[in-house]
Amino acid sequence: MASPTTVRARAVRRQRLRRIPLHVGTLVALVALWWLVTRLGLVRPLFLPPPGDVWDAFVRANTDHPLSPGSDRIVRGEQNYYLWEHLLASLQRIGLGVGAAVVVGIPVGLVMATTWLGVVLEPYLSFLRALPPLAYIGLLIVWFGIGDTSKVWLLFLAAFPPIAMATISGVRGVREDMVNAVLSLGASRRQTLTAVMIPATLPEILTGVRVAVGFAWTTVVAAEIANGIPGIGALAYLSGQKLNSDLVVACILVIGLAAIALDLGLKFLEKVLVPWRGKA
Amino acid sequence: MSHGRAIAFEGVEHHFDVGGTPVPALDRIDLTLEPGELVTLAGPSGCGKTTLLRLVAGFLPPATGSVTVGGEPVRGPAEERGVVFQQPTLFPWLTVRGNVELGPRLRGVAKAERAELADRYLRLVGLQDFAQHRPYELSGGMQQRCQIARVLANEPGIVLMDEPFGALDALTRERLQEELLEIWRATGRTILFITHSVDEAVFLGSRVLVMSPRPGRIVFDEPAVFGEHGARVPADEIRALPEYVALCDRVRHAIHQPTNVD
Repeated sequence: MASPTTVRARAVRRQRLRRIPLHVGTLVALVALWWLVTRLGLVRPLFLPPPGDVWDAFVRANTDHPLSPGSDRIVRGEQNYYLWEHLLASLQRIGLGVGAAVVVGIPVGLVMATTWLGVVLEPYLSFLRALPPLAYIGLLIVWFGIGDTSKVWLLFLAAFPPIAMATISGVRGVREDMVNAVLSLGASRRQTLTAVMIPATLPEILTGVRVAVGFAWTTVVAAEIANGIPGIGALAYLSGQKLNSDLVVACILVIGLAAIALDLGLKFLEKVLVPWRGKA
Repeated sequence: MSHGRAIAFEGVEHHFDVGGTPVPALDRIDLTLEPGELVTLAGPSGCGKTTLLRLVAGFLPPATGSVTVGGEPVRGPAEERGVVFQQPTLFPWLTVRGNVELGPRLRGVAKAERAELADRYLRLVGLQDFAQHRPYELSGGMQQRCQIARVLANEPGIVLMDEPFGALDALTRERLQEELLEIWRATGRTILFITHSVDEAVFLGSRVLVMSPRPGRIVFDEPAVFGEHGARVPADEIRALPEYVALCDRVRHAIHQPTNVD
């Protein structure tokens, strides 16, 4: 049976398909503009390398190649890791940090929203959220060492506030009569939490997770600033230090595309987990 | 199930704080609703009807006086007092069937029995073909019917309905009114039904109450028989009866009576 919802969904999909040429066109135009600007010599390659050089840097970073043109010393990717290995290492850290933030942030948010602890702890949560990660990575290294632990901690601390805050605002936004309805059906306090509070808060929690993943991406360079190889953030930072603009731009593009891909995945998860979003 | 428990208001007063000043909502309510009655409560919006219902539901405690059910004071919401809200408060993460089964599920009723209950009440409100839909895929009238099925499937002794048909179009509304009467005649539950429609109050009620605004007082209390015996007579004919028209007039007069408090 074609309910109005599936009809609407089909219309939306058709509209999206129609937009694909527009997106492709925009992308081609931007790259062409980039190419033209560098080709005409309007800016020096150090400031903005041409697309071809960036592509070469990208390919070099993913293959075994001579150390320099004409040299017979073959090196593996960049910094002895292929670019995808750098990306994978960063993804793993982000996964661990955000995963821990989800596991801790949701219960903390639920407790803060439903008890007096919220009033006491909320200023500290805002405080933590406002801190720039670069400011305290040094401290975390002192506490947890130069290895991966301090990096994952930093990503956790960046991802935790948005998830906890989204949970809090989600719980506070649950319609009072939704709770009254389930209580009138005979629900206990615990049943109210599991049958109404958590599912009703899920859409906001998922939004919080998406914000948190975004935060984690912007934090990844700070996290990998010391001893971050392999790591795409560290690679971008190091190549910037060495004025290797080709590789910097290649890293930026890879980070941006990976972030978009991850966000699309989360959006898909949203669609599967909270199909009612925006409809009820 | 706690069938046959009377609801009693004794010296109930209630007020709300609006910007620091107490605004009276209910004033000296002394009222007993007998088991099995379908009490309709009419009055202009903002007169305190909903507050009265929420006191019985246990969503808020009275400032003064007591609300008791079967002699026991109301201490909070409970499964014996089902509530049909003005806005359908269905849970969008559950299917229509999931919503109707929720009450029995929370009480730990076995799966097979739960399914049977859901089937029966979905059929009663005519939603058996929409059991697997999500609430937001239903029209407003269907959502309201689903909400009624959800409350009835929990088999509460008392059903509290807060202008459940207020937001519906006239046709759907009249159909649901007749369905509600059928359900009431079949199940014999105590129902408190709030409405701002004079016609609805007289058509449905076995007893019609009118409340005056600020502070809310019961200014009219008469028995009615149109809902009870209407099964054999078409609705249009009932509405054309002189007794029906006369009662409507008296109710309307009671609503428009100027209150002595200013």
